[in-house]
Amino acid sequence: MRLLRLFAVFFRVSLLNEAAYRVNFFVQLFQSLLELGTALAGLAVVFSYTSSLGGWTPDEMLALVGVFFLVGGIIALIIQPGMSALIDAVRDGTLDFTLTKPEDAQLLVSIQRVAVWSLIDLLMGLGVLAAALVRLGERIGPGQVLGFLGMLAAGSVIVYSFWLILASLSFWFVRVENLLEIFRSMYEAGRWPISLYPGWLRFALTFVVPVAFATTIPAEALTGRLGAATLLGSVAAALALFLLARLILRLGLRRYSGASA
Amino acid sequence: MPEPAIQLHDLCKTYLVPEREPGISAALRSLFKRRMKAVNAVDGLTFDLAPGEIVGFLGPNGAGKTTTLKMLSGLLHPTGGECRVLGHNPWKRERDFLRRITLVMGQRNQLVWDIPAADSFDLNRAIYRLPAADYRRTLDELTALLELGPLLKVPVRNLSLGERMKCEIAAALLHRPQVVFLDEPTIGLDVTMQRRIRAFLQEYNRRSGATVLLTSHYMADVEALCKRVIVIHHGRLLFDGDLSGLVQQFSTHKTIVVQLEDCAADLHAYGELIDCEDGRFTLRVPKAETARVTERLLADLPVIDLLVEDPPIEEVIDRVFTQEAEKS
Amino acid sequence: MGKYFRHLLDLYVQQFKTTFASMVQYRASLIIWTVSAVLEPLVYIIVWSTVSNGSGGSVGGYTARGFAAYYIALMIVNQATYTWIMYEYEYRVRQGYLSFALLRPVHPIHSDIADNLSSKLITLPLVLGVAAVLALFFHPAAGLQFWAALAFIPALVLAFFVRFLIEWTLALAAFWTTRVGAINQVYFVLMLFLSGQIAPLTLFPSWLQAAAFVLPFRWMLGFPVELLLGRLSPRQALEGLGMQAVWLGLSLLLIRFVWRRGVRVYAAVGA
Repeated sequence: MRLLRLFAVFFRVSLLNEAAYRVNFFVQLFQSLLELGTALAGLAVVFSYTSSLGGWTPDEMLALVGVFFLVGGIIALIIQPGMSALIDAVRDGTLDFTLTKPEDAQLLVSIQRVAVWSLIDLLMGLGVLAAALVRLGERIGPGQVLGFLGMLAAGSVIVYSFWLILASLSFWFVRVENLLEIFRSMYEAGRWPISLYPGWLRFALTFVVPVAFATTIPAEALTGRLGAATLLGSVAAALALFLLARLILRLGLRRYSGASA
Repeated sequence: MPEPAIQLHDLCKTYLVPEREPGISAALRSLFKRRMKAVNAVDGLTFDLAPGEIVGFLGPNGAGKTTTLKMLSGLLHPTGGECRVLGHNPWKRERDFLRRITLVMGQRNQLVWDIPAADSFDLNRAIYRLPAADYRRTLDELTALLELGPLLKVPVRNLSLGERMKCEIAAALLHRPQVVFLDEPTIGLDVTMQRRIRAFLQEYNRRSGATVLLTSHYMADVEALCKRVIVIHHGRLLFDGDLSGLVQQFSTHKTIVVQLEDCAADLHAYGELIDCEDGRFTLRVPKAETARVTERLLADLPVIDLLVEDPPIEEVIDRVFTQEAEKS
Repeated sequence: MGKYFRHLLDLYVQQFKTTFASMVQYRASLIIWTVSAVLEPLVYIIVWSTVSNGSGGSVGGYTARGFAAYYIALMIVNQATYTWIMYEYEYRVRQGYLSFALLRPVHPIHSDIADNLSSKLITLPLVLGVAAVLALFFHPAAGLQFWAALAFIPALVLAFFVRFLIEWTLALAAFWTTRVGAINQVYFVLMLFLSGQIAPLTLFPSWLQAAAFVLPFRWMLGFPVELLLGRLSPRQALEGLGMQAVWLGLSLLLIRFVWRRGVRVYAAVGA
């Protein structure tokens, strides 16, 4: 459908763009593998002293690491580049070009830049997930896989909408890039199940910066920890946040074009 | 009479600008209460453009040219008045409308920086949903007219300023828009490139019948391309009509060029001396005095040659703006 | 000679003023910086507390409160010794700003040290604040000893210089390649595991601890922390100080060598 075709074109342009920098595929691969190695080594140290971390077994933690890289890859691939580009375009006025095109502005700004090499992280995450699934074996039923996919989708929509809202703030404030940095630091906390954290931090990681929806909740779905309430809540949150983000972008565009409030 | 392609009626755009005195106490006060000043960027503009016209939009910096162009392309909401482009209300930003217009900005690029222009063109093709055959045809035509051949495979950042501008213009015209807005398209380009782009715009207008509204600082652009000129200053219309009419209406002086043996003579009594080189004097005289001064020069001096000219249009425009500035 | 030092002092003071002014401009980034500064030790403390609580109260000689003390101390020592100079040089080489530094009569390392220390002076209250809040929440416990606290001071100073010199040398890689990202990452991973950042070194297998003894990373960060928390015997402390001195000497040699080669490469390629 149209969205996919447009995305394919932007993807191709981004690929050419990155190839122009002669970004070395092997260097990127090396760096991603190094990150993965670090994460796994960290897990190894922790699990050399215990067999369960807050109720999570090593294989379940492996699944969480997989989700962490997978979603991290999705964010680095299409969410972060587009939103950074939006902030730049608002600042230097090149948003004008986007607005004179006969296409939905939200669509254009969201797919305008793709960091192609982050596919490596994404695939790596999938690989780790696959390994975790193999090890968890029969404990994973189709219901859990479906729940996982659903929560992955919901989580991605939530993170995307959150980033879009933050990026749209650049219509009103300057130097919004700093806010995006907060997400990146807080995302690190998503390496571990948020059930480990004290209540106030769990709250912050769910309702202030939606890291929980990105990593823990999909992993919980996969490992059969997910309650119906959380499942429905995630879907509802995804819908609500998406609509809110679209609204705020619209308001931002109106402000950009000097429409009276 | 055909429906005008562009119609403005009493179009206004007012900005609220925060105003602050220098100094620390004022800075502190501004944290609590901000004083705003209303700036009329565009103040009641009215004019029509018929389909296929090429019109030059002149004015000094801050006159409101870019603001007007942005309102006409739907990027800015006017504060008052109305405008219609191709029958559409621009800021509704209807898909149909956006498909039929284009905006080229001399100081900003829409081409992706690190990849060949051809790939940026592809992007526009997808966005504007251009059928493959039409796209090919248009691209070939533009490539021929703008001499883009060798440039298309080069990453945009490796192109010279002029080459980049040609590619920008091509990218903007791929979807064969009926209305073309150009904001300072020749700025920063060398004289040869300016001429080439002017020639292209003329040819494009002839072939496609597109309506072109072009803002520029360079009189040469306007002189070469536009029969009709709209002059604005402080957001208000100063003049709308023929270029020659502009000179007629606003120039208060004429230039007399007198060729004598050498520059020894003192011609102060006849008029304001602008320049003398190799005996060729350039004088500035009030329009009304032209005939009388010419007579006297011919009678009093051993004139080899004499020529009466309109002052350069730059000068005319300059004086118009200075007058306006002195008025306000 | 005295004039040279007076000039140097003046330079440091001027740099402090400049850094202070620019940091005040970027107040928002300071807030963001604080958020990340508090999250890192917080996450580690929670994870290791969970592990130790679930394993009979302690692991590798650290209780939950012991871990709290460790990571809070680590945060403070890291604040004192860390640098960001490798990013600076990548930027400077790319933009060609290095030419200015090379034209000055003073070795560029001085303004870098000055900038580093000035920024830290400004963020110090933030870090201390974060440390206080963490202490309130997690009740750190450590066996502080007077002699260890005394020895901590030279250990910290040595750690700062060893780390700065080595990371400054690392930053010079920007002279030779644009792929500094990968090089930096390898360095950071080594730091993570071999300096005691990810976990106290006593929690690691003996082969890793042996490697950490020989390599410089522990002497840049983990050693002052262990010393402060009273986890080292006087003999171990002395050995550590000795290793720090050795690495100080090695890093000075390394820096001279690399700097000279680097300047030649930079000049050859053209500014």
